[in-house]
Amino acid sequence: MMHFPTRRTVLGAASALTLLALTACGNVAGGKADSAKYPSGPVNFTVGQAAGGSTDLIARALAEGASKSLGQPMPVVNKPGANGALATKEVAGKPADGQELVLLTASLITITPLAVSQDEAVNIDDLDIIAGLSQDDYVLVASTQSGFKTFDDVAGAGRNVTFGTTGVGTGSQLAQTVLFKQADVKGTDIPFDSGKPALTAVLGNQVELATIQLGEAMPQIEAGKVAPLLVFSEERNSFLQDTPTAKEAGYDVPVAQYRAVAAPKGTPADVKEKLLAAFQDTFKTEAYKEFNKKNLLTPKEISGEEVVAEWKEYAAKYKELVEKYDISLSGTK
Amino acid sequence: MDFLNPVINGFAVVLEPTNLLYCLVGVVIGMLIGVLPGLGPAATIAILLPLTYNVEPVTAIIMLAGIFYGAQYGGTITSVLLRLPGEASSVVTVFDGYQMAKQGRAGTALGLASIGSFIGGTAAIIGLTFLAPIVASFALDFGPPEYTALAMLGILLVATISSGSKAKALVAAALGLLLATVGRDIFTGESRFTFGSLQLADGIDFVPIAMGIFGLGEILYNLEERHRAAKAPSKVTNVWPSRQDLKQASGAIGRGSVLGFFLGILPGGGATIASMASYAMEKKRAKQPERFGKGAPEGVAGPETANNAAATSSFIPLLTLGIPANATMALMFGALLIQGVTPGPQLVEQNPELFWGVVNSMYIGNILLLIMSLPLVGIFVKILRVRAAILAPVTALITLLGAYTINNSMFDVTLVVVFGIIGYLMKKFGFEPGPLVLAFVLGELLESSMRRSLLVFGGDPLGFFGRPISATLLAVFVLVAVLPAIRGALTKRKPIAITAVTPEIKEKV
Repeated sequence: MMHFPTRRTVLGAASALTLLALTACGNVAGGKADSAKYPSGPVNFTVGQAAGGSTDLIARALAEGASKSLGQPMPVVNKPGANGALATKEVAGKPADGQELVLLTASLITITPLAVSQDEAVNIDDLDIIAGLSQDDYVLVASTQSGFKTFDDVAGAGRNVTFGTTGVGTGSQLAQTVLFKQADVKGTDIPFDSGKPALTAVLGNQVELATIQLGEAMPQIEAGKVAPLLVFSEERNSFLQDTPTAKEAGYDVPVAQYRAVAAPKGTPADVKEKLLAAFQDTFKTEAYKEFNKKNLLTPKEISGEEVVAEWKEYAAKYKELVEKYDISLSGTK
Repeated sequence: MDFLNPVINGFAVVLEPTNLLYCLVGVVIGMLIGVLPGLGPAATIAILLPLTYNVEPVTAIIMLAGIFYGAQYGGTITSVLLRLPGEASSVVTVFDGYQMAKQGRAGTALGLASIGSFIGGTAAIIGLTFLAPIVASFALDFGPPEYTALAMLGILLVATISSGSKAKALVAAALGLLLATVGRDIFTGESRFTFGSLQLADGIDFVPIAMGIFGLGEILYNLEERHRAAKAPSKVTNVWPSRQDLKQASGAIGRGSVLGFFLGILPGGGATIASMASYAMEKKRAKQPERFGKGAPEGVAGPETANNAAATSSFIPLLTLGIPANATMALMFGALLIQGVTPGPQLVEQNPELFWGVVNSMYIGNILLLIMSLPLVGIFVKILRVRAAILAPVTALITLLGAYTINNSMFDVTLVVVFGIIGYLMKKFGFEPGPLVLAFVLGELLESSMRRSLLVFGGDPLGFFGRPISATLLAVFVLVAVLPAIRGALTKRKPIAITAVTPEIKEKV
């Protein structure tokens, strides 16, 4: 399927203009939508991360499939800011007619609230979760110059180690700080803006360790430029069979990034069903399955209720861990 | 000859009609969006990403790469003609480029920039072809301490760049540094100057500041002088720079190519620092540094060459290490992932035709850009003949639209207006915007790198001197800061004193 370039561009520009107009007029498009005719126009899929990152790519792969099932275009709109809180809060405030969706990351619900003030945090109860998507595992990698081959080497090093995180209030930071407390390893937490700079720092041995998402680390692992020590998932990752989990190594720190699609609270049940059906159609396509495999994502296509229950459980678990080990994610120990 | 085989095969890939066509499409789109202020290559590539799903990976990347370096060519045009730098790396072009345009030498400025861009770009591709694997590790040797030293050197350059009142430049730079601190502290998660607004949690983007302070500020200021339109330069026909201009600029172009190539490899801000370093270098080398800021051709040719060379060499960390050097490269990384190609250390071996296809397409793309831009310069400079009453609102509108596309947010549009007013007031009261914008760009790099380094060093500042590269950079910093003072002290004894440069450096250290 080739699209005529100008049409897409015009569409993009047109939707940008419409959005502009809508925002300027203060959401005049509110009011009750006729849910039988859903979708009544393009379904905007907002992503709280910049274009090109893993969250964005998932949204694009999903939109490509779901737009075919829904028979309406599903433009992906990137609104980066505050770990995705900005985009999520904005969509949560839109009319609940299913025309506005957001790609929600679990860390925003389960981990970020541990690092930021209450009113900056996002509450999952303000949204309707349509469907769970996939699991993206974190892997602890070591630089080749550090000499660490297994986590036991780190635990037995008997010195202060430096470790990079992908930022304050991220799974990367939580996983490592809890792990090091449990293993009684002294470490200095060095936050980076995102996964890529943290990985770059490990490659250049600027820091000895870092925890990043598997998809980002894999090319360097395969090339032997960094050594994978642990994965933080509860079970071994199918793409990295030889690397033990933190659980196997005797540590209780189950951290992974999960993603789900959410809509504003109060979206009509039949609209949610239509959306769910469209996403399930997409999950079944070869293209989407291939996408997950290429990006080392483990499918976790669970229902919205299961997402809410699981994420709340993780949120409680992390809160307990942080309190138990007296960890402050905001670095003001 | 084993090395050359894949290179030659790469040319075969480029010369396929589809790839040539996409290369042309890419550079044309790139050039056009470069001309639209605010709409950067990153936003364009994000919009056009879906178009690349159904073509071959190499074709897709050839087009996207074309957009990226094409935009570097186009970006010059607005910097020179309208005082609107679309990217941090073309801020310094504004200083002399806009002055040249005011003097009716817009054609010369754009012509020199095009030639410089072509030479810089091509030199960097040659470097990329032969040196990529060797220089790639250079990017990895740059850790937080090295960036700290580099940012400090950069801030010192800000001091040399200003040509007006030193005290006012200092005030503007301090304001820039202050603006850089806005947002959630990435080390503690603490909100700084966000006034409870989530919109400010990630700080302020470069584009609203540059667009507002330079562009909108200028438009507002010009509204005061109604009859300015009548003074629109009429001698804009000589696009081809004179032999003398070329001679004057050739050194700047040569130095800019080398500087841009090496600094462009560094992830994060390489191109910006390259263009600033080039400008500062030209000003330092010049026999009459006071010409700078008043329309010196080297002040356009050097930085424009450097930022194009840097744009090209920023592909090196992406293609050889799998590290994206800037936001556009991160998108390119995403585009490759969509195509099922993972950029990483093994890309060259696993996908030689992709690697060499993309690299070689840049030779063609640069030639296409040069062929297109020289005749187009004549058309673009006619923009200056448009009556201000028409040009100003149109420019303002495009600027605001461009600002919207960065984060798809109305907030950024508001910011442009706010900074536009600040820019207007600054201009009215004789404050230069350059130091503010550049200090803003470097402030963030300096703060985060310095704090990161101190964490690594366990709080010991002497650690900066324990690493060869950061120690060298800091030594250069001290040298650049102190040398004019010493020279000044020496020359004071002699009757002819060239004190123009001396005090400004001392003040700002």
